[in-house]
Amino acid sequence: MTDVNWISGSIGLGVAGLILYLVRRDHLHSRYAIWWISAAVAMGLLGLFPSLVDWIGNRLGVHYPPVIPLILGMAILVLKILLMDIERSRTEVKLNRLVQRVALLEARLEQQHKPKQ
Amino acid sequence: MPNIVILIPAHNEAASIGKVLRDIRRQVDHPVVVIDDASEDDTIAVARDAGAQVLPLAAHLGAWGAMQTGIRHALRQGYDYAVTMDADGQHQARYLSRLIEPVVLETADVTIGAYPSRGSQPRKLAWSVLRRLSGLKMEDITSGFRGYNRRAMALLAQRGATLLEYQDIGVLALLCRHNLRLLEVPVNMGPRHDGHSRVYRSWAMVAYYMAYSLILGASKRCRLTTVAPS
Repeated sequence: MTDVNWISGSIGLGVAGLILYLVRRDHLHSRYAIWWISAAVAMGLLGLFPSLVDWIGNRLGVHYPPVIPLILGMAILVLKILLMDIERSRTEVKLNRLVQRVALLEARLEQQHKPKQ
Repeated sequence: MPNIVILIPAHNEAASIGKVLRDIRRQVDHPVVVIDDASEDDTIAVARDAGAQVLPLAAHLGAWGAMQTGIRHALRQGYDYAVTMDADGQHQARYLSRLIEPVVLETADVTIGAYPSRGSQPRKLAWSVLRRLSGLKMEDITSGFRGYNRRAMALLAQRGATLLEYQDIGVLALLCRHNLRLLEVPVNMGPRHDGHSRVYRSWAMVAYYMAYSLILGASKRCRLTTVAPS
């Protein structure tokens, strides 16, 4: 294994450690941690054993294997961002409905406390 | 006596809301609910002083978010009909009865106070593009001066309508998809008290509005023809 392998591999493992720390400190929902840990492990593995890429490339018949992680990574990122926006839209609906409901309740409370004329 | 409520969303309209409410009071006797869209001025106090009930939103939801709050309120309180108006004085109280009449008489589920002659040349061009794209064959797609019956209100109160930002294309497409009968009622509109539109405040906002509406119109396309006035 060359020095470069160790460097890229430890970046992946470092990210995995950081994610565990964030979950431990309640900065990151465990649900999202599943995704990020998997990503970090993949980074670590590919960093430590870059020959994995060549092996996969040969099996799939790709002439220039280094593009595999690039293309795959890009595709997964786009998918992830799309899912994030879907999730965000859902959260926004929840938040807006909640703001609306609070206003309705506030109005009703005020009505009840109004002195009878 | 039909059970009607008047809904007015307001965002920083302290300067005009008082006059709007007094004009309404002079014309009709229906309860008026002002939905305050997190105003930073005295909108709430002015509206209360003028005798309206106020629904105070804790965060800014935009014109449609505020309107939907009013519609949910109307449904919960058991009103059969709702009229929606702008707080800037554009919509005139003297047309209220004319607007709600077809809904009460059940010739339409929704009425739209239409004043297509307003707006500049480029704005009219934009509207005709939106009309063509969305399939909504109406004179005035942006008017917020409308009358709704309970069926229309129930549709619009749904969760699925919460993420809309404006009350034009998205709302009309939803009504159209459920085959509600829409009727345009010709009205005159006054100048806004503060003189400018909130939707078309800057070029960036116009661009955003157009892009948003084009996507919404294309994705929710619905063939709509309004019912003929009886």
